[in-house]
Amino acid sequence: MHDHHKPNTKSEPAPAFTPALRKKIEGYLTRYETKRSAILPALHAIQDELGWIADEHVEILDKDYGLHRVQVREVLTFYTAYRQKKPAKNPIMFCNNIVCCMLGANEVIDKIKGHIKKYEERGMEAPFSVEGVPCLCVCDGAPAMIVNKDRHLKVTKDNVDEILERYAELPR
Amino acid sequence: MSETVTFKLNGKDVTVPKGTTVMEAARREKVEIPHFCWHPGLSVAGVCRFCMVKVEGRPKLEIACNLQATDGMDVKTSTDDTKAAHKWALEFHLINHPLDCPICDQAGECGLQDYYMSVGKYHSQMTRPKVLKPKTLDVGKDLVLDTERCILCSRCVRFEEEVTKTGALGIFDRGDRAIVGTYPGTKIEHSYQTNLVDICPVGAFTSRDFRFKQRVWFLKDKPATCPGCSTGCSVDVFGKPETRTYYRVKPRQGEANGHWMCDKGRDTYKHLNQENRLRTALASDAKGKVSEATFADAIADLGSRLAAVNPAQDVALLVSAQHTSEEYKSLFDFFVRELGVKKVYQWREPGEKTDAFDGLLLRGDHNANTRGLQDALKEAGLPGGVKNEFDAVATSGAKIVIAVTPEIPWTFPSLERQLDSLSELGFVSFWSVAGSLTTRKKVKHALPLKGFAEKKGTFVNHAGKAAKLEHPFPCTVKDGRDVTEIVAALKQWRQNHGRH
Amino acid sequence: MGDTLNKVKITTAFEGKPNARALKTYVDNGGYTALKKAFSMQPAQIIDEVKAAGLRGRGGAGFPTGMKWGFVPKDDKGPKYIVCNNDEGEPGTFKDRYIAECNPHMLIEGMIIAGFAIGANKGYIYTRFEFFEEIRWLEIAIKEAYDAGFLGDNILGSGFKFHLDHYTGAGAYICGEETGLLSSLEGKKGQPKLKPPFPAVSGYLHRPTVVNNTETLATVPFIINNGAAAHKAIGTEKSPGTKLFCISGRVKRPGVYELPLGYPFEKLLNEDAGGMLPGYTLKACIPGGSSAPILTPEELKGLTLDYEAITAKGSMLGSGAIMIIDNTMSMVELLKVTVDFYHHESCGQCTPCREGTGWLANIMGGIAAGEGKKDDIERMNEISARMGGRTICALSDAAAMPTMSIVKKFGAEIADYIERGIRA
Repeated sequence: MHDHHKPNTKSEPAPAFTPALRKKIEGYLTRYETKRSAILPALHAIQDELGWIADEHVEILDKDYGLHRVQVREVLTFYTAYRQKKPAKNPIMFCNNIVCCMLGANEVIDKIKGHIKKYEERGMEAPFSVEGVPCLCVCDGAPAMIVNKDRHLKVTKDNVDEILERYAELPR
Repeated sequence: MSETVTFKLNGKDVTVPKGTTVMEAARREKVEIPHFCWHPGLSVAGVCRFCMVKVEGRPKLEIACNLQATDGMDVKTSTDDTKAAHKWALEFHLINHPLDCPICDQAGECGLQDYYMSVGKYHSQMTRPKVLKPKTLDVGKDLVLDTERCILCSRCVRFEEEVTKTGALGIFDRGDRAIVGTYPGTKIEHSYQTNLVDICPVGAFTSRDFRFKQRVWFLKDKPATCPGCSTGCSVDVFGKPETRTYYRVKPRQGEANGHWMCDKGRDTYKHLNQENRLRTALASDAKGKVSEATFADAIADLGSRLAAVNPAQDVALLVSAQHTSEEYKSLFDFFVRELGVKKVYQWREPGEKTDAFDGLLLRGDHNANTRGLQDALKEAGLPGGVKNEFDAVATSGAKIVIAVTPEIPWTFPSLERQLDSLSELGFVSFWSVAGSLTTRKKVKHALPLKGFAEKKGTFVNHAGKAAKLEHPFPCTVKDGRDVTEIVAALKQWRQNHGRH
Repeated sequence: MGDTLNKVKITTAFEGKPNARALKTYVDNGGYTALKKAFSMQPAQIIDEVKAAGLRGRGGAGFPTGMKWGFVPKDDKGPKYIVCNNDEGEPGTFKDRYIAECNPHMLIEGMIIAGFAIGANKGYIYTRFEFFEEIRWLEIAIKEAYDAGFLGDNILGSGFKFHLDHYTGAGAYICGEETGLLSSLEGKKGQPKLKPPFPAVSGYLHRPTVVNNTETLATVPFIINNGAAAHKAIGTEKSPGTKLFCISGRVKRPGVYELPLGYPFEKLLNEDAGGMLPGYTLKACIPGGSSAPILTPEELKGLTLDYEAITAKGSMLGSGAIMIIDNTMSMVELLKVTVDFYHHESCGQCTPCREGTGWLANIMGGIAAGEGKKDDIERMNEISARMGGRTICALSDAAAMPTMSIVKKFGAEIADYIERGIRA
């Protein structure tokens, strides 16, 4: 389901830390009882700001902020929120747990995958990626998905295109 | 005063200090409880779930490693329930294990194999494809890591956190995709890495040095004390007496070292193998030609030379601190007490930092018996004090020098240079293991010594603790003797020739 | 005996109110008065009141809350912590999210009271990262509470100091386990800690820590304000109070319902939730989140929604998630989704769970691909039996229990897939 543990391809250059990001991370270092607690928030901050977390970023956390790189990497690879590769412009997390599955999540996921394939067939970079994720805990709104940070409920194969078009033009 | 508790272990009353776990108590009582993740030198992880025991009156089986014994507790380690639990715990450990024992160096000392024989013996129900993971990773100069064999017991990770405090290893990802390793592109740099091979209960970490060299069941191990520094770690030396070959040194639990030893100490078997050793005595014949000699001829050569001089003026002893207290005693009893030799010099590495300590085990004093030598000097009425007097020999005016050479090459970087300069002197009798003596043209006399693994005796470590060498291997070279035996032979020669 | 039909609103009292989340709304409707009352009580009295109220953990385990608080060593003068487990992740559950949406101050007030009761001066709310909006709302509420003096160094002049921070998870179901959560809060992988010691003695950073579920903590102000007896008057004798039930699936009105414990299942399904959507029939129900054993329509007849009644049927109330499985759902698919989930979420430290979840997923993958083997069902049963009760936390059990129940109750359907090689 997830391929986050695979090492990222070195071809994609890691975006540099901005001063704002550094300031945020520095805030986390003293916010909790121990510096180590800053690892999760720092990784969230990097991903929010830069889209993904490169090995180079882990090394900056080690060298500049004293967060042990083995400990950082353990966290980075344990939790599925963190991306170790540059994501598509609009990453989609689609719940495929029990209720969403029962209500047709996999059909919708397949439809989104079909769109992505079409972009790729035309030699375009797909503006979406989709992965099935564990229960998003909004089962009263199943099937549910999150695009970027926006939650969408009752997503069906009939209305998914209309939702996706708010983010990018779909291939005709 | 420490409190104790008394509990029942398999029906027998056992009294242990309060806070002792059932696992520790069982170990003390020599009751086997199968385990992978628990290690006496590390914190309790409780993750392998193998060491299940039954506590009477409690519904679930519990892990012995995290179960503190309490008064009146009734623990059973071998009921139908625990046996089934052990069998299944083993099955869970094996389902993704590659079972590549024929090419695995751990075979013969592998927890998985051992426990399969003692608690397993089932037909695996796992009929589906296994999870595949990276193999043959280079994670340190002495290490090879096979993550597919790993059972994720986390001993190695805890070792790096708790013992070396480097945190060099982590377990990345999660679930059955979890993989142990260093940070990508980095290696373990410290000099305690082979401990990881020892504590790995399976063949995930193997030693580069030992890799594919020998099947462990062909080896004999004997307890000894590491001669690499003044810490005096308890070790086991592994050799194959039939072929007179040594293969490795591993730590044994001891007061000085706990459970560990340094990688340097692991090399202290290499100089004992024949290819590196002084294999025969060297002596001069009647015409003064130096050649390989029998031990008896070499003793005769030395004996007659000693008989021809005034020992008090003409004989000097140059003594390194890598030999046993018993050897020093016999050496000084004979040369100093009997012959009246006065010129006794300590032979130490120039520029050594005897007070250095790496914080864990390795000390800057690379001599196993500095204290023992000091004691013997004092006993013989000679001035003590740790100092290098190597240079004093050349200007001592002695006609005969008895050079009791350092044994461990890596502890003495200047050894070969010093052997060179000594062989330039008049007559030096080298009592040594160093193979290079045979290739030095100017060497006039040499007697092959036994190595630390081949003799009995005592090392006194930096703290004054005496450790006995009691289980010698047969010497790999035919004419090898320890200092005491050489001295005895010299005495015998003198007796036979009317000297007392 | 309490009332099992009277729909008292405790944690959803602000549902539907305009600006329900705002501090002003909360204060105008009696918010933070329980805190004032608590400050006039002794900490031990508060713990006794919560004990007497019979409040049980609403996250899933149902452990008595007051008893958990009582385990914290009273004479320990060092730092102690109260941590809110808002890491809602049990499949089928969506109630704690709802508290953040309409009632965050009730949670905050509950946490301050809990802190006062156990002598903790610091609290954390830990929320899963996917609750982007809910996290924002909680952070706003925390700031409002600081600004109003409900949080800080000397709360309402009581001399009591309590600081509260929010911490965001990163995608790991296991962090819903209280010690996994604490590991995560320490900046580590969310691996549950070995017990004993229990968190009340050695939790966050080895200090005494109480971890309570969001709904549990949000119930505390009601108990303090109205007394244990008022709480006991709701629900059943052994399961007092209300519970947020999350009903999902093909029913007319899926959603969160706050109902007295002991409420009839059929009434919730057919009246509150409006019954099944036309054309669909009830095939089964998973009553407590995906970790709970499945119940058949036969077993659901006459079932009341309280800890004891559901346990008596061989399942559990759990988090209050009521997943209605309809006739369109194949049991092969249901079980495959379930075991895949636990395989994905096993933290990997305990061998039986790490290997067992993978093994189950492996087998179900085969069956779903039409490549099932005849003895797969028996093997899953055996594996599950050996995964239960053998690990540091309950995730292994959570994978084993539903597997065994589905295999037991719907084995014929699965066997049919295997026999005919049908792909699910």
